[in-house]
Amino acid sequence: MIDFLGEVVSWFGDNWWGPTGIVWRSRQHFELSGAALITAAVLAMPPAAWLGHRGRGTGLVTALVNAGRAIPTFGIVALALPITIRIADVVPWMSSGIGFPAIYVALVALALPPLFIHTHTGILSVSTDVVEAATGLGMTPRQILQRIELPLAVPVIMTGIRVTAVQVVATAPLGALVAHNALGRFIIDGFAVRDSVRVFAGAVLVAAAALLTDAVFGAVERRLTPRTRSESATRRSGVRNTTAVG
Amino acid sequence: MRTSRRSGAVGAIAIAVALLASACGGGSGDGPTVTIGSTNFGEQLILGEIYAQVLEAEGYTVERRFNLGDRDIVAPALRDGEIDLMVEYTGSLLTYEGGTPSSDSDATYAALIAALGPQELSALDYGPAQDKNGLVVTAETAQALGLATVSDLAAHNGTLIFGGPPECPERPLCLPGYEEVYGLEFADFLPLDVGGPLTVAALAGGDIDVALLFTSDGVIAARGLVLLEDDMGLQPAENIVPVLRQEVIDAHGQDFVDLINRVSALITTAELRELNKRYGIDAVDAEVLAREWLQANGFVD
Amino acid sequence: MIVGGTERPFFRWDWVGSHVGEILERVLEHLVLTGIAIGVGLIISALLAGLALRYRRTYGPITWLSAGLYAIPSLALFAFLVPITGFTMLTAQIGLVSYTLLILVRSIVTGIDGVDPAIREAAVGLGYSRRRLLLEVELPLAMPVILTGIRVTAVTTVGLVTITALIGRGGLGFFILRGLGRFFETEIIVGTVLSVALAAALDGLLVVVGRMVAPWTDRRSRVGA
Repeated sequence: MIDFLGEVVSWFGDNWWGPTGIVWRSRQHFELSGAALITAAVLAMPPAAWLGHRGRGTGLVTALVNAGRAIPTFGIVALALPITIRIADVVPWMSSGIGFPAIYVALVALALPPLFIHTHTGILSVSTDVVEAATGLGMTPRQILQRIELPLAVPVIMTGIRVTAVQVVATAPLGALVAHNALGRFIIDGFAVRDSVRVFAGAVLVAAAALLTDAVFGAVERRLTPRTRSESATRRSGVRNTTAVG
Repeated sequence: MRTSRRSGAVGAIAIAVALLASACGGGSGDGPTVTIGSTNFGEQLILGEIYAQVLEAEGYTVERRFNLGDRDIVAPALRDGEIDLMVEYTGSLLTYEGGTPSSDSDATYAALIAALGPQELSALDYGPAQDKNGLVVTAETAQALGLATVSDLAAHNGTLIFGGPPECPERPLCLPGYEEVYGLEFADFLPLDVGGPLTVAALAGGDIDVALLFTSDGVIAARGLVLLEDDMGLQPAENIVPVLRQEVIDAHGQDFVDLINRVSALITTAELRELNKRYGIDAVDAEVLAREWLQANGFVD
Repeated sequence: MIVGGTERPFFRWDWVGSHVGEILERVLEHLVLTGIAIGVGLIISALLAGLALRYRRTYGPITWLSAGLYAIPSLALFAFLVPITGFTMLTAQIGLVSYTLLILVRSIVTGIDGVDPAIREAAVGLGYSRRRLLLEVELPLAMPVILTGIRVTAVTTVGLVTITALIGRGGLGFFILRGLGRFFETEIIVGTVLSVALAAALDGLLVVVGRMVAPWTDRRSRVGA
C-alpha cells in the first residue's frame, strides 16, 4: 500500500507538463466547466428570476428537482454524442462533433435545472411583505426585481451557483468517454491500460478539482451572504445545502 | 488482436446473468452437449453463434456462455471445463501463452498448437479471417496522398494526425510498433475509443487523418474506408481459431471436427467485416446474422 | 444521420421489442445494485445516526465525513477504489453506499430531533424505557422525514448505478455504455429513459410504503423534496 502511494506521488512528479500533462488537462477541464456554467447561467437564470418574481413556476421547479436527481449524468453525456455528431454533419465549421461539443452540451443540460431551481426559489422566498412595502413606495416590478428581490435572493442564488459549479466540474471527467481530454482522461486511460497508479492519480485530481471549486465558490458565497439573512432565506425556501454527485 | 473492449472483468455476477440467459438459450438437439463461451464484443458473439447454430443443426445440444468478460475470464473457464469451446485469435493467444507470433499464419498456428499441447488444450483448423490492428484512412485521403500501404505514410511524416484506442501509445503492436518498424512520425495522437464511433467520427470529420482500427471492423466496409496494407508485417497473424480441451475433441469425434473446420474455412476477413458491420452499425442481432450466414453457405436451410 | 451510407432513425422501437428479455435482466440487475446499496447504507447510517444522537459531538465529524464522500465525483470515487478492490461488485457497492450516507444520516438525525420534546417528556413520564422510547415513539414520528431521505437516496442511487457500467456492473448503464461503443442511440436512450423511469417508480413505491408505515404523516415535518 505504501509502495503504491509512493508510485502515485512519483507519477505526479512526472506528469505535470506537456500536452498530456496535468496542467494542460486541468486547463481544459476548467475552461469547459466555466463555459458550460456560464452558458447555463445565461439560459436558466433570467427566466427563473422572472418566474420567481411573478410567483409562478413552482410546479416546474418541483418537477426539475425530481428530474435533476433522477437523470443519470452518464446517460446524458452518452446521448449528447450522437446529437452533436448529427449537428456536425450539418454545420460546416464543426469537424466531427466529438470532444468538446458533446461534453459541453451535456454539461449545459445538466447545469440548467439546479441553476433554475435555486434562482427561482431564491427570488420567490423574498418576503412578500418586503415586496408589498416596496410596491407601496411606488417601485415598478422591474425595480423591485432589481433592487429588492435580487439582492435579497443572492445567498440562495449563490448557493445554487456553487452547487452547480461543483456538479459541472465533477461531471466533466465523463468527457473522456466522448474524446474530450480533460482530467477524466487519466482515469479512463488508466482503466484501459490497467494502470492503477494513473487511475488513482486521476481520481485525486478530479476530486481535488471538485473540492477546490466548492471551496472557492463557498468563499464567495460566504462573502456575499450577510449572516442573518442567509439563515432565514435558506430555511424559508427549504433549499438544502447539498452538493451534487458527479 | 485488440485487448478487451470493455474496461473491466465481469466476474461472477455476469456469469450468473449469462447462465440465466443461456438457460433460455439452450440447444435443441438431444445429441451430446457442447458449451461455447465468448468474450464480450460483437465479433465474438457472432462467431460463437455461428458455431453454436451449426452444431445445433447437426443435433448437438449447445449451451451458450457468451459475454463472460475478457480473455482473463474466459481462458480459465475453458481450462476448468466450464466451457468447451471458444473462438480465439492465433497471434494474441500465442502471446498470451508466452510465445512469439509472426505474420506467417501457418507458423503462428503451429507454435500455438505446441504451446497449448502441454495444457491438454488444442485448436482446430484456423480460418482465413483475421482480426488484427490496421491503419485506416478515408478514401479521399488515400487518393490525395497516394496511400496504399503503411510504408506510404512515411513520406508524410510529421504532418498527419493519428487517432486510436487510449492504450495505443503503450502497446507494442500499436503506435510504438509503427514508429519502430515503419519509422512513422505522426504530428499528434488523439485518444479515442477501441474501434468505435469516436474513432470513426474523428476520421470522417477530419479530426484525425489516420485511424487505428481492426481489419475486420464493419465500418471499413460501411464507410468505404481504405485499410492500408501491412507490407512490413508488423502485425502478427490473427486468424480465428476454435480452441478446445483435447478431451472434448476426442469425445466428439471426427465428424464434429470436420464440421467445425468446414465452417471456419469459409469465414473470410471480408465476410467478417460485413457481419460486423451489420451487427455494429445496423444493429442486427448476432443470432440472426449467424443464421443468415449459415443459410447462405448451405449449412442450414 | 448517414452512417455507412444508410439513413438511420434515431430511435428503433423494433430493437426494444426484440430485446425485452435482456432489458428486464438489466432492470433486475439495476434494482439489485440499488437495493443492496440502500440496504447497507441504511444500516450504516442508522448506526452512525445512533452514535450522533447519543454523543452530540460526533455529529459534526460524521456529517463532515459523509459530506466529503458525497463531494467526491462518483467517477473519482470508483477510480479510487478500483486499484484496491478491483472491477468488482464490492467496489461498486462501496462507492454507492458512500453516497447514501450523507442524506440518510442527516434524515435520521433530523427526523428524530424533530420529535416534539413534549411528546418525549410525556413518554418518559409514562415510564417508557430508552429503547421503547426510540422504537415506539421517536422512530415512528421521525418516519416521514426518514422516508423522504430514503426517497432522495433511492433516486440518486439509481442514477449512480449507471456509472458502475464503467467498472463492469451497470444495470441499465450497460446499455448506455454499449450504445456509446457502437453508435447505437436507441440503446443509450433505453438505458437513460428506463433509469429515470425506474427512479420515478421507486420514488412512487416509497411514497406508498411511507403512507402505509406512517399514515399520520405530519406535513409540517416533510423536508423539501
